[in-house]
Amino acid sequence: MPKNKPKRSAPTIDMTAMCDVAFLLLTFFMLTAKAKPQETVVIDTPTSISETKLPDAGTLTVLIGGDGKIFLDMAGQHTRLSLIEDVNSRYQLGLNDEEKMKFANLGSFGVSRGQLKKYMDLAPAERSTFPAGGIPVDTVDINKSELADWIHNARLAQFRMKQEGKVKEEYVVIVKADQNTPYPAVQRVINTLTDINVNKFNLITSMEGKAEKK
Amino acid sequence: MSEIAQDGGGGHKKGGKVRSKKMSTRIDFTPMVDLGFLLITFFMLTTTLAKPNIMALVMPDKDIKKEDVEPVKESKVLTLLLGGNDKVYWYEGITDAKLDSTDYSAEGVRQVILAKMDKVKAQFQTETYKKKNKEGVEEERTDGSYINVIIKPTKDARYKNLVDALDEMAITKVRYYVILDVSPLEEAFIKNPAGGLKFSVDEQVDAATK
Repeated sequence: MPKNKPKRSAPTIDMTAMCDVAFLLLTFFMLTAKAKPQETVVIDTPTSISETKLPDAGTLTVLIGGDGKIFLDMAGQHTRLSLIEDVNSRYQLGLNDEEKMKFANLGSFGVSRGQLKKYMDLAPAERSTFPAGGIPVDTVDINKSELADWIHNARLAQFRMKQEGKVKEEYVVIVKADQNTPYPAVQRVINTLTDINVNKFNLITSMEGKAEKK
Repeated sequence: MSEIAQDGGGGHKKGGKVRSKKMSTRIDFTPMVDLGFLLITFFMLTTTLAKPNIMALVMPDKDIKKEDVEPVKESKVLTLLLGGNDKVYWYEGITDAKLDSTDYSAEGVRQVILAKMDKVKAQFQTETYKKKNKEGVEEERTDGSYINVIIKPTKDARYKNLVDALDEMAITKVRYYVILDVSPLEEAFIKNPAGGLKFSVDEQVDAATK
């Protein structure tokens, strides 16, 4: 090539490296982000001035819908598997291994123990149409309350997992209720929690939108 | 968009028969980088914004023994009854309690609490001293003038009301507050404020230690 021929191309920057970084970061964020499980109940939380953030892991959430139906959600696959094995053998729910795995990967659920097997057999898309009646609560006899039993056993399961070193923390109990939930429904949950000696728990609220309220 | 290389991909082919300009394998990555960073921004914003806030709540133990109950001065007690339709009924003390109602706005229940605080402060000997808080900043603390707020949500209240009431506790910095169940006497009191509140201190203790 002749040496004195001027280059006509515009100066270009090699974007490859930048592209690599961008997609590396993207991949990193996508992998670290937790997939949000399907919502079984739509909850519009009330606002508050609280600025404490929800912990990342180790949460046991009691969800109370606007109609007072109670749902439960536990974090941690290991704990859930351990929990369902325990509950399955204790109450003879007749779940097979596949159904147990499904439970471990499930999001929140709001069916009674008797309905659980049927609920697990459904395809994920069909679960939203399942007539879930919420988790039964008995405030008079705590031993009959399925909610108390679930929470108690879930905390035990989490404790076992902590001892085995599979999780780092014990469960933090979170109550997530809709702002229009009638108080008696919330009261039932609070009473259940205090009955099983969970006196410290957290209420989920969203950020206060209106500045003048502050 | 690919560019046409000017130098035919390097002149390492000695005496090669380069007739046509070769298409380079270079691709302009700029749009791809744009897209990458756009997605990163999107994911970062959505993940941090989706994180809700929590509000800690500590309930009293179920098995309180009567001898563990520490009496408080009746004049320091403010009871908030959370009623339906976003109304708050409130009364001070127990004896000759007068029922009043307000709402959850900044001019409503907050002023009631602040007024009660001022009243208690004026009535009792207080001691103001300086103490360093958690951040190491010196702030004024006042002792002896705490008010005790009892929050009693009624059947008609909704969950938002409870959170609003707890929020007010945080805003007005009420140190001692408790959530208790509403008694039938208080329900009757709301329906008929003129009838007065007819329960005694002992009944209150019994209700709390049941």
